[in-house]
Amino acid sequence: LECNQDAMFSDLLGEMDLLTQSLGVETLPPEPPSSSSKEMNFSMGFADMNVESLNELEENDLDALMADLMADLNDTEEKLGGQKEAEAPHTDLPPASHGFSFYPESSLSTPTSPERGPNTFSAPLEEIEAQMKADKIKLALEKLKEAKVKKLVVKVVMHDGSSKTLMVDERQTVRDVLDNLFEKTHCDCNVDWSLSETNPELQLERGFEEHENLVDPLSAWTRDSENKVLFQERPDKYEVFKNPQNFYLWKKDKKTIKDMKDRDKELLVEENFCGTSIIVPDLEGVLYLREDGKKSWKQRLFLLRASGIYYVPKGKSKTSRDLVCFVQFDNVNVYYGKEFKNKYKAPTDFCFVLKHPQIQKESQYIKYLCCDDAWTMNLWVTGIRIAKYGKSLYENYKTSMKKAAITTAWTNRTAGTTSIPSTPSPTTKAKASGQANGHAPQPPAEPVAKVGNAPPPPPPMLPTQILPPPPPDPVLPPPPPPLANKKSPPATSVPRQLPSLPTSFPPSPTSMANLPPPPPSLSQDDSSESPPDFLPPPPPTLGFGPGAGSLPPPPPVSFLPPPPPDPGFPLPPPPPDPAFCPVTNRDSLPAPPPRQSNIGAGAPPPPPPPPSASAGLQSTPSVRRTGPPPPKRTTPPLAAPGGGDFMSELAKAMAKKRGNQ
Amino acid sequence: MGQNSHSPVLMAVWDLSVTVEDLGADAPPITVSVTSDLHIGGVILKLVEKSQVKRDWSDHALWWEQKQQWLLRTAWTLEKCGIQADAGLIFMAQHKSLRLGLPNGLTLRLRACFSGPVFRTVLGICKMLNIRRPEELSLLRPVEEKKRKKDKDLSEELHDLTEVPLTSVSRPCLYNGMPAHFADSLQTEKVYKMLSVSQPAPAPEAIAKLYRPASVVDKAHIHSRWLDSSRSLMQQGVQQNDRLWLRFKYYCFHDLEPKYDVVRLTQMYEQARWAILLEDIDCTEEEMLLFGAIQYHINKLSLTEPQTMTSSPAMDDLDSALQGLEVKLDGAESSPQDMLENLTAPELNDYLKIFRPKRLTLKGYKQYWFKFKDASISYYKSKEESLGEPIQQINLKGCEAAPDVNVAGQKFCIKLLIPAPEGMNEVYLRCENEEQYSRWMAACRLASKGKSLADRLFQSEVQSILSFLAMQQTNPNTHTDDSMSINTHSLVSPRYSKKYKVKQLTPRILEAYQNVAQLSLTDALLRFLQIWQALPDFGISFVVVRFKGSRKDEVLGIAPNRLIRIDLGVGDVVKTWRYNNMRQWNVNWDIRQVAIEFDGNVNMAFSCVTADCKIVHEFIGGYIFMSTRSREQSDTLNEELFHKLTGGHEAL
Repeated sequence: LECNQDAMFSDLLGEMDLLTQSLGVETLPPEPPSSSSKEMNFSMGFADMNVESLNELEENDLDALMADLMADLNDTEEKLGGQKEAEAPHTDLPPASHGFSFYPESSLSTPTSPERGPNTFSAPLEEIEAQMKADKIKLALEKLKEAKVKKLVVKVVMHDGSSKTLMVDERQTVRDVLDNLFEKTHCDCNVDWSLSETNPELQLERGFEEHENLVDPLSAWTRDSENKVLFQERPDKYEVFKNPQNFYLWKKDKKTIKDMKDRDKELLVEENFCGTSIIVPDLEGVLYLREDGKKSWKQRLFLLRASGIYYVPKGKSKTSRDLVCFVQFDNVNVYYGKEFKNKYKAPTDFCFVLKHPQIQKESQYIKYLCCDDAWTMNLWVTGIRIAKYGKSLYENYKTSMKKAAITTAWTNRTAGTTSIPSTPSPTTKAKASGQANGHAPQPPAEPVAKVGNAPPPPPPMLPTQILPPPPPDPVLPPPPPPLANKKSPPATSVPRQLPSLPTSFPPSPTSMANLPPPPPSLSQDDSSESPPDFLPPPPPTLGFGPGAGSLPPPPPVSFLPPPPPDPGFPLPPPPPDPAFCPVTNRDSLPAPPPRQSNIGAGAPPPPPPPPSASAGLQSTPSVRRTGPPPPKRTTPPLAAPGGGDFMSELAKAMAKKRGNQ
Repeated sequence: MGQNSHSPVLMAVWDLSVTVEDLGADAPPITVSVTSDLHIGGVILKLVEKSQVKRDWSDHALWWEQKQQWLLRTAWTLEKCGIQADAGLIFMAQHKSLRLGLPNGLTLRLRACFSGPVFRTVLGICKMLNIRRPEELSLLRPVEEKKRKKDKDLSEELHDLTEVPLTSVSRPCLYNGMPAHFADSLQTEKVYKMLSVSQPAPAPEAIAKLYRPASVVDKAHIHSRWLDSSRSLMQQGVQQNDRLWLRFKYYCFHDLEPKYDVVRLTQMYEQARWAILLEDIDCTEEEMLLFGAIQYHINKLSLTEPQTMTSSPAMDDLDSALQGLEVKLDGAESSPQDMLENLTAPELNDYLKIFRPKRLTLKGYKQYWFKFKDASISYYKSKEESLGEPIQQINLKGCEAAPDVNVAGQKFCIKLLIPAPEGMNEVYLRCENEEQYSRWMAACRLASKGKSLADRLFQSEVQSILSFLAMQQTNPNTHTDDSMSINTHSLVSPRYSKKYKVKQLTPRILEAYQNVAQLSLTDALLRFLQIWQALPDFGISFVVVRFKGSRKDEVLGIAPNRLIRIDLGVGDVVKTWRYNNMRQWNVNWDIRQVAIEFDGNVNMAFSCVTADCKIVHEFIGGYIFMSTRSREQSDTLNEELFHKLTGGHEAL
């Protein structure tokens, strides 16, 4: 199958990478045949595995690459040809998505799809040929680009101290790599699983955010770096979404925070992460700052704002204008410091650090801060992450939740059909890494699962073993689980609900009340509104009810069937009845009741929705369109999906424009 | 007249005199003879007949001056209304002209409804101005202008919308990208442009002249000016041609959709901009500089591409469709070339001077041949040696590039902070002239973000650096006709204008500008609003209150999601209460006290000092109303619920 080809291709590349590495070009410390024994884990540094990009491949590798490229080109050519010939019957060809599945990793869609657009409507033959030629060139160029893509071989230290080696290309996000690891480890995939880096020299640790490209931070490591990538559970990662009150209501008393209802938690998340702007917790407090160069730690009153960390200078107030900027987040990351009491004589071990990701050694450009307790440290580190990453953090969380939910459903299902051992829970071992940072210790996991789940002792390192097996598209949802399962993960979604009104508030509107207020109905007796354009004649003496004789307001019931879709625009007034008031030049003078009643009785009953109203309504949708606007087409490759019916879109747009004028 | 035939009892006929406003102030009242069972509509008919004036009276209604109420229920009889012969009624139009101060500081004359509750009046105004979500806005009485207005109010430019027929406003269709009722004349088109395009930066002197609240108490006083949403303008003593401000009152902006919210977005930005310029909301220096930078950017874009904002959705469709077609047609030739270009990025080559402060060996600037390629700088002893190994290569990815420029002194340096494992390396590059500087600076900026020279942004980056350099030429002798050049003092609040000279301020704004220079106009507006909304004090309306059991004045802050108690002396937040913990609140209208109960038997009560308790009540109820809006029923405005939550006695 074609879609495997790419996986094979990347396998091949990975192999090449490995090959060049094992050639010993680099000063690689002799790699023990994988992490076979436990005592090895401690001494094993993460040697600079991240070296080989394809640019540096040997000549024979390039040959192989070229061959590969050619093969791909031929393949596309065939495909294009086939497509053209088999224009009408698509039976033997996969549908339009074909191009995508062919290059699953590629962020650029291949030109196979865009060219379908011109193909479908009659273009001169030469044009098609030229197009195809161009496409081929494009494809080749893309392949070249692809070849430029940086790929790293990364060793990830697992929760149990063993390690796995993966190839990561520079377009892959941490999320992608996590998914890959989930495949390999059969862990429970809960949202706490994360990748983090440690820097032993600076005694720092940082959890990567899932939207980051893993290659970026790793590229900053020095050649002789002892840094490691860890795969572990970090409860602090998304704590802010699970218990937002800890961060947003930190000033409140402990009891209020603890007794927070789930509903209120959701509301807090919504308030702070779903608005037009992300709200950063308003942290303020005295922290210790490590003085430049000196070994002393000095207390200062710090404040966190969306724009950075500030401190209050001596003798000044806390008002915004007096604050002095300590650091802004554009160019720094936040790290946990480990055992700084020892290393830097910090007042406590609850320290965090802000530094440029490139900085790997002691430097005056690193900012060290120290908190009184773990709680405060967590507050600040999380607050800084919110300020720095904003909405991405929440998006990451939602993605993780989805992933976790799917996996839970999947495991539940398999657990039912197969047997016990597949219940994963690697939690037990994660303890060691978590606690040094002052995280809450992990909840102990059931030991039963250990047998089935602990990764088998890796056999001696074989190339095939190390290469990431082509992940069988991790995003692919498993077969639909039983419905109950699908709904069951309770914490998965953060439902957006209306804030419920306090109990004593007026009841929420009934469906009737939801109907658009206008057109002004007469029966609604009050001074609140009088229709601007005519005075409803008051017929107290009429046989029928008030208002029935006049034009606009039929009883509400008659209004129900065609509820105007857009109450935002009150209906235009009903058409004036010219016969109505001959005295005045135009419409609308209220006639005295007797005369009115005569005419009114003879006149046809008011049409429920006046014609002018419906006309007005028809035009409404053109303003607030229901369908998503067509994607902006700026570059041809991106135009792929809509390419086919381009002409009809154009026609539609034309029609719309005409309709509006 | 035939009324008598309707009722078996003969009713006494009496005279009712009504002043007809349209006949002029001096005209005597018109007297009609009526019976007590005549309904209001009948009175009006008689009046009109007797007045002998043929015109459209449809907008007119009776106003009972003594009782300060409208007689809008035309079916009610005089008896039911309690009207007797001595009632001084006035027959007048319900829609009158109003001078409306917009968030952008300009004044617009339009016809507003003086008879409906203000809430409804605002709906009408917003519909005319094409602002969605009108429930977030309201009207307030303006702050009195300082009394040196001899020639001032004559020169005040008035935009006029009074000619727009009210009936046409309900048509939502668009012409030339604007609602139909704006397309009627050149004049109204101009008004629409005024509404939908942000105003140029004000002169620094103009900012300094305007009223600025100096304290929380000052800010609290502003909120005493809001009109009561449940009563009409007439009932609140607003007269024809009076001046009122239209402002966003509730700071929770629902469902902001740039495509449909051109006017709303622009006015929101204007309100935010003025709040910052007039120090109505506090921010730090760094934030002020960023606000300044975005304002500069928005000003620039509004001058150059105002049309893109105002084009209609249908036009957009067509445009994008046509654009797509174009791209497709020439896609065959050009795009592979583009891609090739991307693969083989262009370079810069020049003699520059370098200075590395930390290296003791290099004292002062030394000249080398510099080559910029692929996000890194290499330098060589001379041009001839540039084929060999460079003396050093510096990767600029992730670096900070700051200007160190003095135009008057012809100093054009780029200060680079280049991250390395050991820390940040400081490097200064000195360029010969503006032109060279702008190219190298632009390259450094792009490289710091990991972009190459092939990036389309390069040219625009160069341009914006050049225009900023032009701003620094404060020399009055040089030409100032360039529309791009702005006094940077117009972009910051007077506090910072005083603190920094233009030549100090400009480079700092330029620095902040680099981070926003690539935003589109809409994105820039949104970014400005986001940063505004992220300020800690955002959305808090202050009122001075006295809490029950306390003897001193304190400040109550009303935010979209909570109430805040603030100590006046220290300015510290003492306590916060969140609405979603609120069980109920009551207003005791007799002693004018607001009492609120929260979950867990938490009770608080206060009386209001600076604002009427109806205003406070309306704020709280209004925010709770705002929180009931959801995306699903995004277009239904439950007016009744609003009045229930914010109304006076009868509602609760």
